[in-house]
Amino acid sequence: MSDLVLIVPEAFLLLGALVALFADVLARGHARAGAWIGAVAAILATAAALWAGQGAPALFVGQFAVDGAAQVARVATGLLTAAFLVWLAVVGLQRGSVRDFTALVLFSALGAMLMAAARDWVVMMLALEVATMPAYVLMGFDRSDVRGLEGALKYFLLSMVASLLFLYGLSFVIGMSGATAMGATKLQPGLVGALAAAFLTAGMLAKLSAAPFQWWAPDAYAGAPAASVAFVSAVPKVAGVVAFARVVLVLAPQAPSLPLLLIGAAVLSMIIGNLAAYPQTDVRRLMAYSGVAHAGYLLVGLAAGGEAGARAALFYGIAYAVPSLGVMLVAATVGNTLGEFRGLAARRPFLAWATVLMLISLIGIPPLAGFTGKLFLFTAAMGGGLVPLSVFAVVMSAVSAGFYFRIVRAMFFDSAAQDLQAPRVPAGAAAVVALCCAAVIGIGVAAGPLLSAISFTAK
Amino acid sequence: MPEQVALVPFLILAIATLGGGVMVVLSRNVVHAAFWLLEVMMAVAGLFMLLSAGFLALVQVMVYAGAVSVLVLFTVMLTLRRREDAIRSLDLSWSAAGIALAVLVAAAAAIASFTPTLPAAPVVTPGVEAFGRALFTSWALPFEISSVILLVALVGAVWWAGGGEK
Repeated sequence: MSDLVLIVPEAFLLLGALVALFADVLARGHARAGAWIGAVAAILATAAALWAGQGAPALFVGQFAVDGAAQVARVATGLLTAAFLVWLAVVGLQRGSVRDFTALVLFSALGAMLMAAARDWVVMMLALEVATMPAYVLMGFDRSDVRGLEGALKYFLLSMVASLLFLYGLSFVIGMSGATAMGATKLQPGLVGALAAAFLTAGMLAKLSAAPFQWWAPDAYAGAPAASVAFVSAVPKVAGVVAFARVVLVLAPQAPSLPLLLIGAAVLSMIIGNLAAYPQTDVRRLMAYSGVAHAGYLLVGLAAGGEAGARAALFYGIAYAVPSLGVMLVAATVGNTLGEFRGLAARRPFLAWATVLMLISLIGIPPLAGFTGKLFLFTAAMGGGLVPLSVFAVVMSAVSAGFYFRIVRAMFFDSAAQDLQAPRVPAGAAAVVALCCAAVIGIGVAAGPLLSAISFTAK
Repeated sequence: MPEQVALVPFLILAIATLGGGVMVVLSRNVVHAAFWLLEVMMAVAGLFMLLSAGFLALVQVMVYAGAVSVLVLFTVMLTLRRREDAIRSLDLSWSAAGIALAVLVAAAAAIASFTPTLPAAPVVTPGVEAFGRALFTSWALPFEISSVILLVALVGAVWWAGGGEK
């Protein structure tokens, strides 16, 4: 019975989501009370995840187990969700109700936490749906914006097709294994095993917005409120990487064609993401393509195979999520286009320097999180014998510096248009951005302990 | 030893399923397409009956034929203003057909090379009672997660449907 303590974080998130839905009744006259309730729930969930620990026996007849990777992903999801909700509680939304937004964010975090610990194909599939379904609504949260709704609809349709691919692949996998537990997976050699692995991989790639399933992301991001993009582009992906890593760890030894698919998707993602980001003038669109590119780097680690690659991929997932959340929160405060970033260094020096720090982490310059993350990824890829792919990824990281520096140039070297006012930055919002910066530095400096905390156990 | 199903009923139901599916895609009138969808769902329920999966057949009829198809029909009829709006343009894309055909051929080849290794069937087919017991014991976690999915869908639908715009 005491093992049930492992699932207490999820219970806190569910409870928080339900209470947040009634925030208007509980705290009359406080429009953003829902977000504060949600932030408290996320902090409690993080504390519970830390306190419950890991390594206890699997729950629910082995369908749910917390190993090192799940623990790290759950804590990271909880912290990022809490930081985002504090920001939301301080700043609020331009349009729409904060309580519904908070509830959807918590539902998504709940799905992400479940997904990280899922050890059964059915549980993983359902948790994946819980994590992504709120995202459709968040992306189209401004229901008066037709372009946003179109982007959300595209996201919904492609994500549903991805789920169907994943489910169709699962029907083969479960049919071949005769059981739904991931540990009992037995693929038959030949076409049917390769096809099942390919279906599962395609579903995961689409959920991670990796090429060749990336085309929904720029349209959906550009139509969505920047706050939605900040959450959706960063937080659920951490647990998504754990789920993808588990799929690869289970299937790759039995389906020899799987690493080839991953390498192809990695190369394509890096090329499309890094090159298509150059002409963008909308920060959300630029970050969408940057997200595609970073999914490509992650895939380099997964393609390397083995536990080393999976650990490096999860580390990089966190090292990507923190600055991505930070940059999009700045964009939600400052404005969505590069034009609105012009001269930010003169108007709001703190935001400008914070953005610079997070962008150079995304490029991968030492000693920040992005650099250590890429170092681990490419070391794992070298260890897996993928030397040309690692070299290509390093070249592509250098290419990415160009479009990130376009934001830097706009902030520092372009003068602002006359009518641009200094954006209102409440102290709490600045604190959240500062926290993201501290995390970017902290993860980079203290990378060793974090990496050694990530471990994948098969059972 | 694989159990056999009767060939003639299987062929009738299989043709009804596939033919109905083709008609869903090819019907110019969306109301007709929705009725063809209903027919496909019923034929699939028949296939389940043929495999002596009585409970699945019942669920298929109740949920898919009963609820989903009727929901589709309601949506179509509530959103159409005029009778002529039900006619949709039919743009047949060769590339989409090619991709669909490629996936179909690959899946068919995979299924042909596939030997299922399902656990041995029990002597007595477990009834609804055993199903319910399994659902609320060993399958409790997936069951509860599904209920959260429905809740999320509900919250999202209420938000998008609007109401009380402030």
